[in-house]
Amino acid sequence: MKSRRFKLLHIPASIAVVFGGIWGCDSGRMVQNAQYQRQSTETGSYFDPSRTGYLAPGTSAHARASRTTVAPVGPSEEIWIITPPPDRTGISKRDGVDLLGGFGGDGLVDPLIFDAFDEDATLRDLVDPCGGIIGIPSHRGTSTPAFVPVPLEHTSVEAEISAFVATVDVEQQFHNPYNSKIEAVYVFPLPQDAAVNEFIMTIGERRIRGIIRPREEAEQIYLEARRQGYVASLLEQQRPNIFTQKVANIEPGKRIDVNIRYFHTLAYDDGWYEWVFPMVVGPRYNPPGSNDPINPVSRTGDTRFGGTRGGTNVPYLAPHDRSGHDISLTCEIDAGVNIEEVLCNSHAVDVDARGSSLTRITLSPRDVIPNKDFVLRYRVAGDRIKTAMLTQHDPSKFGGAGHFALMIYPPADLSYIDRRPLEMIFVLDCSGSMEGEPLALAKRAVERALRQLREDDAFQMIRFSDRATMFAAKPQAVNSDTVTRGIDFLNSLSAGGGTRMLDAMDEALDSIEESRCDRDRYIVFLTDGFIGNEDEVLGLMQERLDRRDGHSTRIFSFGIGSSPNRFLLERMAGLGGGVVAYVGLGDSPAEVMDRFIERSSHPALKDISIDFGGMDVRDVQPGRVPDLFAGRPVIITGRYHGEASAEVGVEGVAGTRELSIPVEVSIQEGAISHDGIACIWARSAIAGLENRAMVDDDREIAHVIEELALRYGLASARTSFIAVDGSERTHGAFGTMVPVAVPVPDGVQYQTTVDQ
Amino acid sequence: MIHLSFVDWLRAAPVVALILQFLVALNLGEHRGRWVTQDDEPRSSTRFAAIDLFIDSGNDPLAAWQVEFHATKGVVRIVGIESGEHAVFGDDPPYYDPDAMMNDRVILAQYSLGRADSLPTGRTRIATVHVQIEGEMEPQFSMLLQAAGDDEGCRIAAEVTFEMRIDQ
Repeated sequence: MKSRRFKLLHIPASIAVVFGGIWGCDSGRMVQNAQYQRQSTETGSYFDPSRTGYLAPGTSAHARASRTTVAPVGPSEEIWIITPPPDRTGISKRDGVDLLGGFGGDGLVDPLIFDAFDEDATLRDLVDPCGGIIGIPSHRGTSTPAFVPVPLEHTSVEAEISAFVATVDVEQQFHNPYNSKIEAVYVFPLPQDAAVNEFIMTIGERRIRGIIRPREEAEQIYLEARRQGYVASLLEQQRPNIFTQKVANIEPGKRIDVNIRYFHTLAYDDGWYEWVFPMVVGPRYNPPGSNDPINPVSRTGDTRFGGTRGGTNVPYLAPHDRSGHDISLTCEIDAGVNIEEVLCNSHAVDVDARGSSLTRITLSPRDVIPNKDFVLRYRVAGDRIKTAMLTQHDPSKFGGAGHFALMIYPPADLSYIDRRPLEMIFVLDCSGSMEGEPLALAKRAVERALRQLREDDAFQMIRFSDRATMFAAKPQAVNSDTVTRGIDFLNSLSAGGGTRMLDAMDEALDSIEESRCDRDRYIVFLTDGFIGNEDEVLGLMQERLDRRDGHSTRIFSFGIGSSPNRFLLERMAGLGGGVVAYVGLGDSPAEVMDRFIERSSHPALKDISIDFGGMDVRDVQPGRVPDLFAGRPVIITGRYHGEASAEVGVEGVAGTRELSIPVEVSIQEGAISHDGIACIWARSAIAGLENRAMVDDDREIAHVIEELALRYGLASARTSFIAVDGSERTHGAFGTMVPVAVPVPDGVQYQTTVDQ
Repeated sequence: MIHLSFVDWLRAAPVVALILQFLVALNLGEHRGRWVTQDDEPRSSTRFAAIDLFIDSGNDPLAAWQVEFHATKGVVRIVGIESGEHAVFGDDPPYYDPDAMMNDRVILAQYSLGRADSLPTGRTRIATVHVQIEGEMEPQFSMLLQAAGDDEGCRIAAEVTFEMRIDQ
């Protein structure tokens, strides 16, 4: 029998008592909500209105406040909501769950203690036909949950946001639960623009600062220290958003912490700042022949998907496996202006407003499984805020050069400029990792877009997994018939297979080259981005776009799901002259697509030049200032000599009109300086060099990246952090390498990715 | 030039073997002392060490300091910098200058805003530098006090020393 399961919550308490309180909806689909009481003293709620994204369109939800004890839940267990299949035939205890309670289709809690029934009792026997049951994975039968000890016990994240820059401290607490020495290996994500410039290894009370070194040299030092029995740790970058942490010679029962600090800038979209902390690397597909793949493997090392062709292995927990690794997170925002609203669709959080412009957000202890991106949005006062410049200037460093970061806001309204017809090529990822909710979100987003297009627009759809296929031979003019056929095509799509994004990219660019030229042409990728050959895809894209005259085709990317590959998506949009948007599991795809259509309906401000007044500015990053879309500012960074200026002018072209934007740079006493700006500039410069390296095989580029990363103390593809405790050796051989197995991202199916 | 036939080589083999045995024994004898220190590990010319850096500010409270440390002889790579013994300078190990580190020179600095009676006096371990040493040559190090100051921002006279520890 096939049942639909939604993971509800993870309760780390030794004993928790679950209460009824379930969201239901008229369609019979269930969304997550439960109330619980922890050791009879702490009460919380999982009701989160933002999660109504799970509901089918047009259905209404209703809650029930009553609470009824149904069963005790043990430590490290999860609770599941199980909705019955449409025929309501019986789910029973034989299906591998301990049934805790049920609820009726009208949303009223109808608690049942299933222990009172025998094992053959079915859902149909016990609850309303439109109802569902809640339960925990059974400790009997084939679905017995296994506790998987991993050497990473806890990750602690502390972020401070000032203006549009975040300073983030991540502590990874490693512990050896075994009776012999181990080496812990953990593959984890960080933001794609994270400028990692601090690394400290803590052994007991002793704290040892890691040193940035050329990658090969750091690795050799680590291997030698490991061989000789010294405690050592190594941080290597596999992708701009994927890192590997290795800790050698952890003795039995001992704990070793690793602290990482990084800086990065926040995204800003239509009045909302967004800060993201990724928690898990999604299972990547690597086409045959991929260099340096990111291989998803089972926790036992099985590599049916991805193979053992070198590269980086990411071990995943099976669906019923649970590890003790959890996460805590706090984020302090000092916005400088009033914070009007704080929103977190991805996680349960506690918000503590400490003043009009100061807020502390804490991840709820009820939401501690690190299996999805933490996405925090907050809105600040005012229709639009001033263009802001942050600087860092220490005459004793970097040859006396200062560094700046400037956020440039587009004109508030470009609607007076005529809208040009659009030609939209939607490229949908239908690979196995998109199975379920991610593909459903993508479909709804595209359907919404089709309904928003006008009659002088045109559209095309390309679905891809192991191969790419098109909706029509060429882009179709928009009319009621083509839109209907397009929606039928969408509804026919299902997920499965690999992620051959190169083929899809080729098809999309071929398609657009053959089409009419009097429309603004957009290629819109909707994908989780779970591929391991990012360089190949980005290289092809860059090469094909460079061959064209100008940039008449823009590439936009929509990141779908709970943990999309933001590096790929951001870089695609950046190279393609477009912007990126994300549709998380808790987001409304319609709202996101509406904002996209609204934005793309206005011409972007392009050919931008910046007059820095009296400032002696050099090495501006990115090298080509991105086009400005309505509601989406861009951040540029650079180096300067002399004094920072408060007068900056921006000029550009919107449609056929030349526009000059007076930019008032906000330089407030004491607020303009930030210690992370130099690192952020260097990280941006490295990203620009990496883009060049994708299409230019010049070895000098790698050398420049290394030099830059060493000078600014940054982890990069060419540099790694190494820390060795040279004061004492541990006893015996260096022991077994133990990878830290991680859960697949929320909403992603293990069976269609890792277990493919 | 002397030409030896295969038969000549065979006749000379016992003598050659004796000479080789003697040379090998001589060579082993030269290194035997160090080999013992490596327990059962095969001989490695790469080893790790910790070097404690000290400042002796006498009776003056030490509120701020900056030192430079580097190897003047031998192949040495710095692989970690550990906090000093005094909590008044904070939990975190001192920062290093990446520019200097590119040449395996360490320039370290720390300061404290603590009151005079909370600041260290006398000989204080300000940091420990962890290093990897390669090759047979014993390294030599140099340490320079670039600045030391008290809680009132006045420069103070101080002495720097260092001690190397190798776990053998």
